[in-house]
Amino acid sequence: MSEFYGIRARIASIPCFLKTSTMQISPQLRQKWQMVVGLLNSDARHYQLLFLSTFFLTGMLSLHWNLIPYQLLFTFGTAVCTQLILIKILKLPITALKSAFISSFSLSLLFRSDMWWVVMLAAFLTIASKGIFKVNGKHFFNPANFGICATILLTNQGWISPGQWGSAGYWWFLIGMLGFIVITSAHRMETAFAFLATYALLFGYRILVYQHWPSDFFFHQFTNGGLLLFTFFMITDPASTPSHKSARIVWAMVVGILAFYLQAYLWVTAAPIWALFFLSPLTPAIDYFFKAEKFAWKQTSANVLQTI
Amino acid sequence: MYFKLSKKTYKSFTMKNYRKISTAMFVMALTLVSLNAYSFCGFYVSQQSKPIFNKTSQVILVRDGDRSVITMSSDFKGDVKDFAMVVPVPVVLQKSDIKVVNRQMFDDFDAYSAPRLVEYYDPSPCNQVREDVYEKVNASMSAAKEETENDVVKKDSKYKVTVEAKYTVGEYDILILSAKESGGLKHWLTDNGYQIPEGAEEVLQPYIQSNMKFFVVKVNIEEQKANGTEILRPLQISFNSPKFMLPIRLGMANGKGSQDLIVYTITKNGRVETTNYRTIKMPTDREIPEFVQQYFGKFYVDLYKKNLAKEGSDNVFMEYAWDISGQMPVKCDPCAGNPPMLNGLFEAGVNWITPTNWGGYMGSVFFTRLHVTYNREDFPQDLVFQETPDRSNFQCRYIINHPAQQYGQCPDWKMYYDKKKASRRKEIKELSALTGWNTERYWEYPTKFMGYAAPLPPDDETGYVTPKQRKIITSDSSDINQSTVGSIEEEISNSKINQSAFATTRTTEHKKPFDWGLGFGMVAIVTLASLARMQKKG
Repeated sequence: MSEFYGIRARIASIPCFLKTSTMQISPQLRQKWQMVVGLLNSDARHYQLLFLSTFFLTGMLSLHWNLIPYQLLFTFGTAVCTQLILIKILKLPITALKSAFISSFSLSLLFRSDMWWVVMLAAFLTIASKGIFKVNGKHFFNPANFGICATILLTNQGWISPGQWGSAGYWWFLIGMLGFIVITSAHRMETAFAFLATYALLFGYRILVYQHWPSDFFFHQFTNGGLLLFTFFMITDPASTPSHKSARIVWAMVVGILAFYLQAYLWVTAAPIWALFFLSPLTPAIDYFFKAEKFAWKQTSANVLQTI
Repeated sequence: MYFKLSKKTYKSFTMKNYRKISTAMFVMALTLVSLNAYSFCGFYVSQQSKPIFNKTSQVILVRDGDRSVITMSSDFKGDVKDFAMVVPVPVVLQKSDIKVVNRQMFDDFDAYSAPRLVEYYDPSPCNQVREDVYEKVNASMSAAKEETENDVVKKDSKYKVTVEAKYTVGEYDILILSAKESGGLKHWLTDNGYQIPEGAEEVLQPYIQSNMKFFVVKVNIEEQKANGTEILRPLQISFNSPKFMLPIRLGMANGKGSQDLIVYTITKNGRVETTNYRTIKMPTDREIPEFVQQYFGKFYVDLYKKNLAKEGSDNVFMEYAWDISGQMPVKCDPCAGNPPMLNGLFEAGVNWITPTNWGGYMGSVFFTRLHVTYNREDFPQDLVFQETPDRSNFQCRYIINHPAQQYGQCPDWKMYYDKKKASRRKEIKELSALTGWNTERYWEYPTKFMGYAAPLPPDDETGYVTPKQRKIITSDSSDINQSTVGSIEEEISNSKINQSAFATTRTTEHKKPFDWGLGFGMVAIVTLASLARMQKKG
């Protein structure tokens, strides 16, 4: 009996133990931690960079992605240089470089090529599209999406490997991405769910009801890390999607329908990415007819992502 | 990339250890021993009461735009009158789309692209040059085509099955069926004397709903006798379809154990990979101990199985990828077998190349070899491919470095001996890492350069293997896991890779390893970000 009370006492003392032990962490370490916290919390995009870089590193190390050795260098280097040029021409703040880094990570996660110049072209087009394809100060192509698709169309020397994620790592990527959403209180989740629900329902009907495949066929189709990345990071980009909420939801559903058609009937690889590419030019028209508040990144202590 | 390979080859020539690539290189050509033909991933439909299952398959898949040419072979080993095969195809094939081809093509492609062993000889540190012998295995190519024509269309309204076409091609009678429902198709097959395996029914309806047709093949005994052929030759079909896939689901008929498939793809623009499963490169360019040479078959099978366990049993493995365009001067390096020649490529269905005056060909061609061991649980979908523009070369290459012979004493010998001992210890560690073999038994290897008799490598079922084993396969009416019907005695050399060793007959072991790296990364980052976010002020 006394042993039982002894164990209970030990468990009850764990929070106190943690508190006292953290207080004993050296002031230097605590100071460094505070610096990291301050840096992360100063801009929403820092969390995005943190998560995207983790996805990339863990994918490279665990899943042995097939990259040319200097692809990261070429991608980031070209993206940063192009962004600096844009900053100079358009008189943007220097913090716009963060978007270049985010786009570079997205590119490295999705785009593959065995030629260094194709990688550089993709990075250039990614950043340049933000300056070229603008209506009323808003670029309507998702930068990484444009970079990937335009490079493939122009050179035919790049590709997307939907199979690179495998099935074993899917749940870990899901945890990471959902963690990002919860931590950053990311907005525009309705866009993600509108797209995913439409895409899943259409495929679910086709696979399970019409074709009578077993359920694991359907789950295998949807346990794809690339689809997760597209859903939670690409189509939710607030800077390049329609501003009006209801219009955006309908637009996301149309992207889902087009992605379904491209994949199921035309056998296009990575169909959601192409669907977004083809439907992005509709964004300015939607914004014209459905007026809403414009989005801008804001460094405040309020909600991480917010419109002004 | 070709440049990268040249750089690696160059580096190996100038490495500052005591290796020297001799003027002639001895390369072992390691081919699959099973010279029996290999079946396609359709399913066997027995005309006996007992179903038949295929365990190993090889397929040649040529793709250009929407045009696919699939060459498949039969590994049936029983009475030919009992043989029947069903393969789903996306369109009704015309008589000109079906051919019987020579099996030699499979052996040649296999010899060319199989994992290879490369031997190097260390130069003597005492300045004594060793003569080496260069040997190359020549493979002869032969091609033979035969075709006869006969077509009738019949609709069987009772089963809602339409016989879209009926041909006799070579020694085969071919029917192409379309069906409205799987029950009707199943009853049609059963009532016409075919016993379909239990697991095949599950996928009949999805294939019918996907508008697939069914290519049913039987042996025409009279034609076979008239042609004088004793063995069943490979069949080749061509069609246009946007679907670039192989319907392996139909081949998972028995639901127990796994089946092994090697796919040779020939495309115009670059490497082929799967889009719905991970395509992983096999480990390559590893230095292994000398004694592995006589057990290379066992070594590679164990290496493959260990890699399968490490990466997961739901992946596809790439064993070879090479740019064999007509203008490329180097179509293999080293060459385990002759690269595909003009006749072989034409026979496989490559129709975009043009012959040259000197017997070669012009045109862009890329060769990929993919290896997949599939089962029902890990592969719920058919393999869907895409052709990438990646023209990087890749091969499974394992390196043996023979030590220099000591001709008398010289001052440099001691230094060489110590370095060689260290590198031989590394080779043993590499062997253990690659195959999982218990390498404690090879304790003498690092120090015994000459006359080392290695203990036998481990075997999963029978203990330790011998260089040659006799394997007797018998049929048992109660055991449905046999891959053949009848009794056959096979002599298997363990220096060569036997494809049937990859397939299993036991209940499938689902190898889905816990991904520590990914798990740790994700949990760490979510924890870190949560803690930081919680401390956000305001």
